[in-house]
Amino acid sequence: MKPTLKIGSTGAFGRFRNSNFAQAWLILVLALIFGSALAAVQVNLSGVIAANKLNETLERIPELIWGTAKAAKLASENASVDITPGTVMIKKDHKTAYYSLFRVIHESKLAGWVIKAGGQGYADKIEILIGLDPGENIITGLFVLEQKETPGLGNKIIFPVWRNQFIRKKTNTPLVVAKGNIQAPNAIDAVTGATISSRSVTGIVNRTIGDVKGRLTPETIRFYERQL
Amino acid sequence: MTDLPTPFERFIQGILPENPVYRQLLGLCPTLAVTNGLKPALTMAAAVGVVLLSANIIISLIRHLLKPHLRIVVFTLTIATFVTIVDRLLAAYMYQMSKTLGPYIPLIIVNCIIICRCEVCASRQNILAASADAVGQAIGFGLALTGIAVIREVLGTGMIAGFQIMPAAWPSWVIMVLPPGAFLTFGLLLALVNWIDATRSNKKG
Amino acid sequence: MDYIFDIFLISISAALINNFVLYYFVGICPFIGVSRRVDMALGMGGAVTFVMTIAVFISWTVTTLVLMPGAPVSRWVAGYFMSAESAAGIDLTILTYIVYIFSIASSVQFVEMYVRKFYPPLYKSFGVFLPLITTNCAILFACLTVMSNIVGVENPTDAWDLGRSLALGIFGGAGFTIAIVIMAGIREELDLCDIPAPFKGAAITLIVGGILAMAFMGFNGVDIGIKALLAGAP
Repeated sequence: MKPTLKIGSTGAFGRFRNSNFAQAWLILVLALIFGSALAAVQVNLSGVIAANKLNETLERIPELIWGTAKAAKLASENASVDITPGTVMIKKDHKTAYYSLFRVIHESKLAGWVIKAGGQGYADKIEILIGLDPGENIITGLFVLEQKETPGLGNKIIFPVWRNQFIRKKTNTPLVVAKGNIQAPNAIDAVTGATISSRSVTGIVNRTIGDVKGRLTPETIRFYERQL
Repeated sequence: MTDLPTPFERFIQGILPENPVYRQLLGLCPTLAVTNGLKPALTMAAAVGVVLLSANIIISLIRHLLKPHLRIVVFTLTIATFVTIVDRLLAAYMYQMSKTLGPYIPLIIVNCIIICRCEVCASRQNILAASADAVGQAIGFGLALTGIAVIREVLGTGMIAGFQIMPAAWPSWVIMVLPPGAFLTFGLLLALVNWIDATRSNKKG
Repeated sequence: MDYIFDIFLISISAALINNFVLYYFVGICPFIGVSRRVDMALGMGGAVTFVMTIAVFISWTVTTLVLMPGAPVSRWVAGYFMSAESAAGIDLTILTYIVYIFSIASSVQFVEMYVRKFYPPLYKSFGVFLPLITTNCAILFACLTVMSNIVGVENPTDAWDLGRSLALGIFGGAGFTIAIVIMAGIREELDLCDIPAPFKGAAITLIVGGILAMAFMGFNGVDIGIKALLAGAP
């Protein structure tokens, strides 16, 4: 049952009807319909998706600056915490690196910074959030956003019991992963059986702090408004 | 023209006799990739079900307008559109799961199950039969994924979707949630299905 | 020099460490279906590599020029219909999957015509498998990986250029070929063994695939070592 026009199939119109253009009319109509559907989806959902991506990080920021207990207290008091996202541009050795960061302001004072950093782990890329105090002298928190390390082994870097080692570590010397002997102030105990994952995270922290420390000035940072 | 199966037959066939994974050996990529946990497996099965149902319905509606040499283009266009929509919906409303499933949702476009059902069923039968076929095949696919996911997750981590099943002393067989575990589990289950099938047809004949 | 190291890392990673078949589970259907004989496997691997390279080239070009947020060509066209600022925010990524699958289908058509014209006996021996390369997950997966390294990056300078994308395409295909040829070699030997009836066919192939995947797991973490080595190099 093909739709037919009752006009002759010879001559110019006949050639048009049998041409590829006419035979593809169904595809063109479908493309139009589907294109409109996709445009509608894009208009309605892209805001939601972008918000999801941002909220994933925003939710973590209070506890990265103040620790879980005080962050919960601030949340229950509905305290106003101003979090501004931005990008910092670091120039070193003829190369430019960009880091996503968040400036946290509470009661009109700078409460700290949260930097997003990433690097290669044992299995795949690892993405972390590092919390720093206003003077960039101590680490106030660490959170692992994304990792695909070995379940049961390297996976353990996501647990607070390992991450909390980073809290109150000073940023003036690079951190070192030590197995068992964690007396030095800049030592991090490795996850049992996952030295490489532990070293990757520590390496990312060291590299980021080395890049960013002392360079968080208005000249290098570009803030953007948060779209909710 | 031979009699095409009724909607009910299509539905029943899709679940076990013509199971897309164990009998037709289609859609193996997600079967191995997302079955390291029960939740990702169920989400993937649901996503494939939604795309399959939508594509079957649309193709069945326009089946009389399909030109023979352009029908693959039409199938591909329809499937790609619905997969994009499902992918966006997942990213908007189930963000964490969308990140876990990662690139395997867009890979539904090249999942042979959907193109095969469009070709075999939707382009030849009415909407009711096409929908029944889609639902049946999706249930079959879901059963297959769930079976593998349960085994891999229980043996690999001792838990299912957060619930501890094995005693705490269970040494998690981590390899089960890694790629080799997927191959081995599926291979052994496929052998089991073949054996059950052979035994039953021996009893009959 | 850094660039060469980066390409080297991407290549080794795609071919061996994160092998498309044995780590990412893409391209399983031909892995099980076509791997009975080494010469067929080699032919299939070569065809997939060829198509993958072309498809990745087209994907990278279209994504960078048309699809990504703020892409030059779209911005220029949109500039005729709306203000310059709205045109700069134009984002066509919703069309990515449709564009990719059609570019893959076109690449396969092109390769098919080429092989039919210049290597007719090869074309005959391929039979139906050549058009089936369109539904090979590995090719779409390579294109998607390229896309996520262009559109999904925080840092605009980290976005992959054409060289890195082609490296992924060529060596991802090489990794697929390695896996499928090894499997074919093993299966040729298996033909002489006494396999229990339930295991014949796909089941034993999957189990052998599992053992192969275990072997390839040994490559895990090698890229960190190589990176450290290259970083320490003068």
